[in-house]
Amino acid sequence: MIISKATNWLARHEPGERRLIVKYAVLTLAIFLPLVWSFLFVRNLYPFASWNVMVAGGDLERGRSYCMLRGETISGETVDIPAINLTNALYSRTWTMVNATIDNQSFKLKSIHPQNEELIRQFGGVENLPPGVRLTDLLQAWGDLYNKQLPAASSQRLKAIRLDMYRWESGRYSDYDKFIESWRKEL
Amino acid sequence: MAQGIVNRVVPRSAFALGVVRSIVHGTFLISILFTSFSALGSLPVTILRPTGAMKFLPWSFYDGLQTPAAMVTFKVVLVLSLLLSTAGFLTVLSTKTSFLLVLFYQGLLRSFGHFNHDEMLAVYCLAVLAFTPCGDAFSVDSRLTKTRAERPAFAYAYPILLMQLLMAWTYFSSALIKLRVAGLKYLSPDNLPALAIFHSLDNLHDTHFKLAFWLPPVKAYLPFAVGFVLLWELLFPLAIFQRRWRWWILSFGIVFHLATLFFMNIFFPHQLAMYLIFVDWDRREYGLSVRSKNSLTAFKKA
Repeated sequence: MIISKATNWLARHEPGERRLIVKYAVLTLAIFLPLVWSFLFVRNLYPFASWNVMVAGGDLERGRSYCMLRGETISGETVDIPAINLTNALYSRTWTMVNATIDNQSFKLKSIHPQNEELIRQFGGVENLPPGVRLTDLLQAWGDLYNKQLPAASSQRLKAIRLDMYRWESGRYSDYDKFIESWRKEL
Repeated sequence: MAQGIVNRVVPRSAFALGVVRSIVHGTFLISILFTSFSALGSLPVTILRPTGAMKFLPWSFYDGLQTPAAMVTFKVVLVLSLLLSTAGFLTVLSTKTSFLLVLFYQGLLRSFGHFNHDEMLAVYCLAVLAFTPCGDAFSVDSRLTKTRAERPAFAYAYPILLMQLLMAWTYFSSALIKLRVAGLKYLSPDNLPALAIFHSLDNLHDTHFKLAFWLPPVKAYLPFAVGFVLLWELLFPLAIFQRRWRWWILSFGIVFHLATLFFMNIFFPHQLAMYLIFVDWDRREYGLSVRSKNSLTAFKKA
């Protein structure tokens, strides 16, 4: 059992205890006030989270696109590549990183990376960028990481890596894999 | 009244808070030890989308950091700090450095992907521990220091209560947001199967379970399951205040998170690890000490 004056607000407190209560009150407010704000506005502003996990729910009528990461080996096979084996730091996040890259979201920030600004200038505006303009850089990085895991003489090394996009047109529980497009990078 | 509530529901010793410190910091230590930072550093900086507070850092900083060598150095610093804070050495300093480094690391990950909620509760627990006397027991510091500052039990009990409240908030607010944003549509029969199947189609998720495809034939029953989960989320705060309900609520939480793994390929391991905050470590310590005393007596008798 806790026998503490600190939890009995009516009791008189020693200065040390009073300091502790004030400190804990400030800590509680510093954490909870922004969390309540995030909750009220349903907005994630790192590091403050609004627990809007799976809020949208699944709408059967809405079509959805998804991607498969694949490699073409030197021996001529096509293999599925689980991205988590390449960059495991991105646990639970790989699919959204890929979606954001396809959508060129890094070009739609208030502060854009200088190399991306240069690319926008070359294309004459964000609206002229093709989808996934930085995807080849990502595929190159993944391809290199995959090949590093294999011996130099292995026929399982990749000569190319690609991202295939499919669409589940939806409305019914079938026809999950209508091919849309592919991004490919020779290694 | 406040005294009564805290008295009944939270472990109150320096030992209990020390154990919680080790669990929270140790969770990040283990997950970071098994993470390849050099692979992370190989990703192009041009796909980064700094989020929230991460926007305050200039691009030149990210250019310098987002290389395999710099990321490995970052990992070494992070592991060293987490080792110290898990062990409770230089705790006042190491818990703060661990909190700040993990906060930055998690922000970096969210700048590549989306605002994943799995680790957020544990990050808030790091924040609580950084400003509380969590090194007074179950730590290297407490072994090295002969005299310990006298503190009221409240100093150790309240941080544990605060972490439990944070966990309750994650589930409770999640249920309220679902009801606010999606309303009763959230209970439609197609909600769960459509969402689960979408998360099972690609090979970019971490696991590739296909149980989601079993759901459409039984979709008529699924609104009850979804409704039950919503009810469980709303009732989660009872896990703090009702000892009798606690283990039912936490046990269902484990089943729920395993179900999202197998049916949706979405898993929250850090959040699950934080369930250990609800263990009454005072009672465990008492049980262990009684058992070791009994065995010592038996040994002496023998």
